[in-house]
Amino acid sequence: MEIPYIVTPRKDTGLFNAKIAIWLFLASEVMLFGGFFSSYVFLRLGADYPWPERTLPVLPGLINTFVLIGSSVTVVFAWAALKMREWRKFQIFMGITVFCALIFMVLKAVEYNVKFHHQALRLKDYSIIEGHLGKELDGDKKEVLDHNGNPIEENLIYVEASKLTFNTRRFHTPWLEELLTQAEQHKSTVKLTADLKGEEGTSDEGKIYAKSGELLSIEFLNRMEEIRKAATSNNAALRTTALRQEWVKAHAANPGKRDWQISAGVNIDLKALKPKMLTEISTVTFTVDPPAKFDFHPRDIKAADGSSRMRDDTVVEGKLLDSPMGFHHVDAIDFQYLVMKAVEKGIEPEIAIENSWLIKNNKFAQEAWEWHQGEIVKLKAELLKKGGLDKDGKPRLFPTHKELYRIGWKDFAKKTEDEGRVKLSSSDAFKEEFFGPNYEARGDETFPELSVPREQVGFAAKFSPAWNTYYGIYFTITGLHGLHVIGGALVLSYYLFFGRKMYLTNPEWLANRVEIGGLFWHFVDLVWIFVFPILYLM
Amino acid sequence: MSSHDTSHAGHDAHHDEHHHNPGFIWKYVFSSDHKMIGMQYGITAMCFLAFGFYLMMVMRWSIAYPHQPLPEWMSWVFTDGWKARWLQDGKVTGETYNMFGAMHGTIMVFLGIVPLGFGAFGNYVTPLQIGAPDMAFPRLNMASYWVYLAGGLIMCASFFMESGSAKSGWTNYSPLAGFADGQIVTQILAGQTQWLIGLVCLITSSLLGSVNFVTTIINLRVRGMTWMRMPFFVWSMLVTGFLLLLAFPPLEAAGIMQLMDRVAHSSFFMPSGLFTKSEGLANLSGGGSPLLFQHLFWFLGHPEVYVLLLPAFACVAEIIPVNTRKPLWGYKSMVYSVLILGFLSFVVWAHHMYMTGMGAAVSTFFQTTTVLISVPSVVIITAMLISLWGGSIRFTPPMMWACAFIPMFGIGGLTGLPLAFNLADLHLHDTYYVIGHFHYVVAPGILFGFFAGVLHWYPKITGRFMSKTLNHLHFWPSLICMNLIFFPMLVQGMAGFHRRWYNGGDAYLSQAADSVNIFGKTVVQYIDMNIMMSMGAWTLAFFQIFFFINLITSWKFGKKVTSDNPWDATTLEWATPTPPGHGNFLKDPVTYRGPYEYSRPDCEEDFLPQWVEPRRLDTADKPADKH
Repeated sequence: MEIPYIVTPRKDTGLFNAKIAIWLFLASEVMLFGGFFSSYVFLRLGADYPWPERTLPVLPGLINTFVLIGSSVTVVFAWAALKMREWRKFQIFMGITVFCALIFMVLKAVEYNVKFHHQALRLKDYSIIEGHLGKELDGDKKEVLDHNGNPIEENLIYVEASKLTFNTRRFHTPWLEELLTQAEQHKSTVKLTADLKGEEGTSDEGKIYAKSGELLSIEFLNRMEEIRKAATSNNAALRTTALRQEWVKAHAANPGKRDWQISAGVNIDLKALKPKMLTEISTVTFTVDPPAKFDFHPRDIKAADGSSRMRDDTVVEGKLLDSPMGFHHVDAIDFQYLVMKAVEKGIEPEIAIENSWLIKNNKFAQEAWEWHQGEIVKLKAELLKKGGLDKDGKPRLFPTHKELYRIGWKDFAKKTEDEGRVKLSSSDAFKEEFFGPNYEARGDETFPELSVPREQVGFAAKFSPAWNTYYGIYFTITGLHGLHVIGGALVLSYYLFFGRKMYLTNPEWLANRVEIGGLFWHFVDLVWIFVFPILYLM
Repeated sequence: MSSHDTSHAGHDAHHDEHHHNPGFIWKYVFSSDHKMIGMQYGITAMCFLAFGFYLMMVMRWSIAYPHQPLPEWMSWVFTDGWKARWLQDGKVTGETYNMFGAMHGTIMVFLGIVPLGFGAFGNYVTPLQIGAPDMAFPRLNMASYWVYLAGGLIMCASFFMESGSAKSGWTNYSPLAGFADGQIVTQILAGQTQWLIGLVCLITSSLLGSVNFVTTIINLRVRGMTWMRMPFFVWSMLVTGFLLLLAFPPLEAAGIMQLMDRVAHSSFFMPSGLFTKSEGLANLSGGGSPLLFQHLFWFLGHPEVYVLLLPAFACVAEIIPVNTRKPLWGYKSMVYSVLILGFLSFVVWAHHMYMTGMGAAVSTFFQTTTVLISVPSVVIITAMLISLWGGSIRFTPPMMWACAFIPMFGIGGLTGLPLAFNLADLHLHDTYYVIGHFHYVVAPGILFGFFAGVLHWYPKITGRFMSKTLNHLHFWPSLICMNLIFFPMLVQGMAGFHRRWYNGGDAYLSQAADSVNIFGKTVVQYIDMNIMMSMGAWTLAFFQIFFFINLITSWKFGKKVTSDNPWDATTLEWATPTPPGHGNFLKDPVTYRGPYEYSRPDCEEDFLPQWVEPRRLDTADKPADKH
């Protein structure tokens, strides 16, 4: 059996099979990315927060655009070389194409990496601080390391825990290990608070499953889980049988009645059942002796003074300690969201800003805001000079919302440079276009430290999909596009490195394959042509 | 399977190297033959259908007898630990009901009907009907099946995890679905997340499948098989292929975004200020749109309905001409209708969303397009109906199902009209009326079409007929039970019974009727129907056993066919040996005429197959030339 039209095109359609398939596949891909682009439009139009505009570094994106366009050209040359049966030329052009893909991915990785280390914080009053989280320092200003040997980042919730209660149905083993390690570090022991024994009146009455003082361990909790499972299975079976019997009796006693008319009277006789039941140990409580300071990642715990609950239902009893969020380097202060909320309530933006927690409690922020207002005056004058007045006597050009209410890292840099305090070499300044602000060269004067008390923290996230829907769609689209680049590059490299054998036996077939690989590559390029303006420029 | 090996001499060693003497594994498991893949799809899909049916039986118990423990004939499937976790004193809990409900819908739609219609029938029959040796990309075809199986198993495996399976309805609307199983720390082991991963697998599978189908139909048609000589079945598959190709990706986008919401804590579908009882104020950025998910979901969701339906249309359209011995009435109109249907199905999606408050103008637009789309559907179903007119109908087993399909699907389709109008829909939305409507389409409609298809092509696949007696035992009870289940739903729905009541409305009766609970007075009138419907469902399950017995035993003991064309049909699949070997045709067939040339007055026999050379005609008189 041979499938026709693998190499030669069919006469009436003029196409070989794979060519139809790739166009269909691309149509499907258009719908996929179309779905994402439509979502972008939908989310942007419906956003109830100031949509971040032009926040990504343009230069790496621009370079990537040209890299991809270039590779789209070379992949065509590679195909043409195959058609002309010039293997060496094919190798060179395909090599360039794959190398371009590599450059693209490296730049992408740099871009991602910068974001994953950049912290954003929305205060309760909707002002936003961006920067780098600090590391906890000891007396000699050296980084304090945690038990895993990592520096401790200053975004942890501290609880002086005295009791830990675990749910035996589900506890997250890695968290349990973490708690044990922390307890050990603080030289505390975690012991069972009270004896675990069979309930009164049950079949296992008085049976001691664990003695108080037993140490917490994973094995211990696993054992309790098994005991609970056996008990619930046993009890559920008993209760089910009992309820069935009750219903048989109820139906006999109430002929012709519907279930809902008599269901209130059909109940299991728990007293009669109890001697056959087993004790279900659903939670196990341990005492931390002496009470120790545990730290938790904010997302893992709903913290409250007295009793905090972790996501796996572990309850941590104890005092909630001061857990400020500490920035080592603040590189942006953003009042756009705050202003938006203020305008909704009919409050003047400037008044709202001046009453914000940040301006009131932080000298640096106050200075920066005052300096920024001076800049705005200058900007307005400049715009007036450039645009003039319209017929109503209003300036034709005016500062954007972002220019008015956001002090970004370039503003901070300009401030200290204007004041003559910091000067950067031109190569350092160029590097900043890729990696963002250079904290070491610019120092604390430009990007100061800042500590925010936990009760002011509204929502905090890295510059990851969690920060807002813009970053969500940015990472999703570019991530998916990146996967397409990787996939395409793998296929093209396969032709490059393993295509020789087919070239010698059936070069036309290889040319066809390169052609459809190239079509896919053009599509990947085309997607980027859309991605770049909507995510980087608009 | 022994007669086809002659063409293999000197073929290209690059592909199908394992086809000479394939071992068991390559022949039955990792087969790249479209017929074997079709059967794999069929068997797997039937297993999933049976599983989905079982979930429904448990749900029907909870609706009919919410206060009674699940009886042992259903609960023996579960382990004691599972029962302790998910049943309360043996009764089905709301959470468990939701789990079963969400998975019943998912399994039936994504893992049952689509793979059966498109995967099984499409795979087996399409290449045969266009005279192709196989699909254009056999190995892609195999990959498509395996990815589908993986996706299905991932989804179903979640029943046995701590979180349980997905439980936010088969539509998985955010923010509900965004939060479900949020307590599970390792999200990859949460039911909702696994549902999404499974979904991405299924979409990948359908992408591979649909690319393959469309390419095959465009490029692998045998000599003489022009577009308008293609059987209607092939047209349906072509349109289905395009629907899958273009409608599924937006759902994939939605799936990926919901996955991001769950795993990366983004807020695509999470609005600002979301507050839940268990979590308090959500630790999320907010700013997303729940409505966006619904748009993306239903952009797939509606074309998906036609993905379910068209293969059933396809089967019935093949069976009717064979058994009426006359051409399919209005073949061309049907072809154009199915194309228009395919196109229109992309612009009706928001009729599922009238209640979301997306605006009167938008609702009006979608109401109009929805009413429009009923036109091509009615053209097709009417053409089928008229095809019966004046025919000498043979009531063969497949024909019985095909005849039942028409009115049953008719009820399903017509009950959809009130739902298209947004004023009526405000009342009927999310009631049992909707459930009744689409189950009439899918269960006695589409499934009957598939039963017809199985009976019709079984002789080609196995060389034996399925038993008539067992078919009678299967057909008549099924027809009665289906109506017993679904017709009362329409009545209950109009009385306002909500589709997600896990106790069938019982909660309204456990308290006295007062101004708050005035609805109890309505509920009490129709609640007894629950028991009748549930009985119908369990009886239906019992009589399906005869189908499976028939399916299995006929393979060995059925009546043997006496020729390769036992139904005296005209389309190309009957020109192959029985069963067709690898490569299908002994020599490449040539198509000389349209697909439904029955009872031509110029022929001695009452059928003229597509592959018979016209020379035979020349010997006869030529009265036919006159018209």
